[in-house]
Amino acid sequence: MRWHLAMPAILFVAMLNSAQAEDPLDISVSLILEGIYYQRLSEGNEEPAGFGHDHGHGHGHHHGHDHGLDEGFNLGHSELAVEARMGDWLEGALMLGFDDKNVEVEEAYLRTLSLPAGLQLKGGKFLSDIGYINSHHNHDWDFVDRPLFSEFLFGHHGLQDVGVQLSFVPATPWYTRLGVEAFQGDEDEGIARFDDGIPVDRESGPRLFTAFAKTGPDLGADHALQLGASAGFLRDHGRLEDHGAHGHAVVGDGWFAGVDAVYRHYAGRSYGHGDWRVGGEYFLVSRNVDEYLQGHGGWTRRGNYTERQDGLYLQAVYGFLPRWEAGLRAEALGLTNRVVDFHPTRLESLDASYRSAAQVTFRPVEPLFLRAQIHYDDFAHHGHDHGHDHDHQGHGGSGSGLGFLFQINVALGAHGAHRF
Amino acid sequence: MSLPMAIGGRLVPAVLTALLLFALSAASVQAGALNVVTTTSTMGMLAREIGAERVEVRVLAAPDRDPHYLDARPAFMAALRRADLLVEKGGDLEEGWLPAALTGAANPRLNSGRPGHFRASDFLHLRRSITMDGPNLGHVHGEGNPHFQLDPQRVAAVAAPLAARLGELLPADREAFEDRARMVSARILEHAETVATRLDPGQRFVAYHEDIDYLEEWLPVEIAGYLEPLPGIPPTARHLRSLADSLRDGPEGVVLHAVYQPARGAEFLAAEIGWSRQALPMEPPANGGLEDYLELMQVWAAAFQAGE
Repeated sequence: MRWHLAMPAILFVAMLNSAQAEDPLDISVSLILEGIYYQRLSEGNEEPAGFGHDHGHGHGHHHGHDHGLDEGFNLGHSELAVEARMGDWLEGALMLGFDDKNVEVEEAYLRTLSLPAGLQLKGGKFLSDIGYINSHHNHDWDFVDRPLFSEFLFGHHGLQDVGVQLSFVPATPWYTRLGVEAFQGDEDEGIARFDDGIPVDRESGPRLFTAFAKTGPDLGADHALQLGASAGFLRDHGRLEDHGAHGHAVVGDGWFAGVDAVYRHYAGRSYGHGDWRVGGEYFLVSRNVDEYLQGHGGWTRRGNYTERQDGLYLQAVYGFLPRWEAGLRAEALGLTNRVVDFHPTRLESLDASYRSAAQVTFRPVEPLFLRAQIHYDDFAHHGHDHGHDHDHQGHGGSGSGLGFLFQINVALGAHGAHRF
Repeated sequence: MSLPMAIGGRLVPAVLTALLLFALSAASVQAGALNVVTTTSTMGMLAREIGAERVEVRVLAAPDRDPHYLDARPAFMAALRRADLLVEKGGDLEEGWLPAALTGAANPRLNSGRPGHFRASDFLHLRRSITMDGPNLGHVHGEGNPHFQLDPQRVAAVAAPLAARLGELLPADREAFEDRARMVSARILEHAETVATRLDPGQRFVAYHEDIDYLEEWLPVEIAGYLEPLPGIPPTARHLRSLADSLRDGPEGVVLHAVYQPARGAEFLAAEIGWSRQALPMEPPANGGLEDYLELMQVWAAAFQAGE
């Protein structure tokens, strides 16, 4: 989507605002602006082994430890969010994500407000409720960037797709929320990736199904806890690797499963002083794929393999002063890292990649925060000799890289409530 | 059938069965008492006094916490899921967390516009806030000052509309609710007058946030300034200096802040101009009743007798 499509949306918002002045419509508009300064302090491996999304050799943007950021100033990830209610029945939301080059409809969905028995139905494009961080927008994150597992297992936006969700909150003393989702599975990268030129027809949509459960006991005024489990299955997945004279494709289906936990301690002092937030997630993805080889006479199917990859993070944030917090995050990607590799074609077990990050955040006023983050990557080197890899860069001897990020994020307008 | 399909094929029915079992086990029909959830304990006190044995009241915000800065924690959503009536103060006080908690609660009885959603500020004239006219700084107090629990007259004024709402939900008890509301509001107003007449008039005070200034509405005291330059903006050194300069040569007073607000700025100013400083409780206990609220009014007034 480009600017000419965004302009009407912005005009529409302007109109809404002027309408709001005369008539108290139940509509809220907020603009979240972000700036990021990025500096690489030392060069490490470009990408974690086994998660090379850039087999198209220069097509598609690479993202390893650069988060898709340029060194120096970046507009980061800004958002225009419009939410409106249609009487007692529906709520609609539109979230446009943009930077200085692109505008994208991140979310555009309708949600029911009046179904009985704790049921809610949501349809449109939205962030899946699997896991914890997946459904949170970046101004609610504790770190500048998305965790590795989310980016490399689910995609640049996490699991965000067009589909429907049915969720159920039973009237139990412990908070419980259960849900199922069906998505089109059309994202061109991430878990539902399916490259052009694959010699097999895609399954018809919806191609991605998920289920999630969240629960949280009542721990009084000083503590809160939420535990979650999610799973999903994918009707197709396809990757193409072009080696010039010939090509390889791996095509199949898959499933994933994960757990997440978030604990918060409220010290009851001012502006988060003494508060703790501790959380983590683990996800495992498994794919059952066939390999196809492209020769002179077209494609031939060869072996069948089960690929498995996982990722996790653990993080803790502490409010060391009113309005100031500091946090640490440790991540691992590919503790299980079995992927199909070529020449010869086989299932290879690759090393795990690690990343650790530390951040300090200052929130002078509620809608604004400034965050400095340093992160240390230790990305696994892709084990064997890539004859076709000479135009990749960054496969130096050292696997580790050090980076510094500075983020400023402000929410203007009717800033939505913070989710847990 | 492939492995993922098998898992999906088993997973979806399993989840749906679990949903059904939960739905059957958790009957949301209220036997007898009305399930009332209030955001703050002053509102909880009113609901408890007016509803008496016909209500079961749960207060979300702990009395010693800043109600602006809570989050939509799971326990809140669980309480809201089972509520027949939500009583919020409104005036955007709960804006930072209540909408998210309501979304997570999936309880249409509490949809705004339904009888199950009571917003006290709809029935009150709130004190005008500086943020209503000033530049937009995050919408704190955009609808007026929401901390009206510090003004017994306004708390008393919420009693009748709340009784009417309870009566709408439990028509058989309407008169009983109205009678109790009259009694509660009369007690509060009478006590407010008694407390106010005991104070020497004309005393001045500085508040940390735009909240304690509500004392000016019923006590013979005057607000002399705020430690926060604007609601939600922390005190700056420059602002504190100019505040000190403007107050130094005037009559003496007291610097007041809520128990959950930082004491530093208040201490600095009090030392600078030789006033006393006090941290005030802002709400009665979570399960408190009328007597607790009356006692709290005395605690507030006593802040002005400390120096005597």
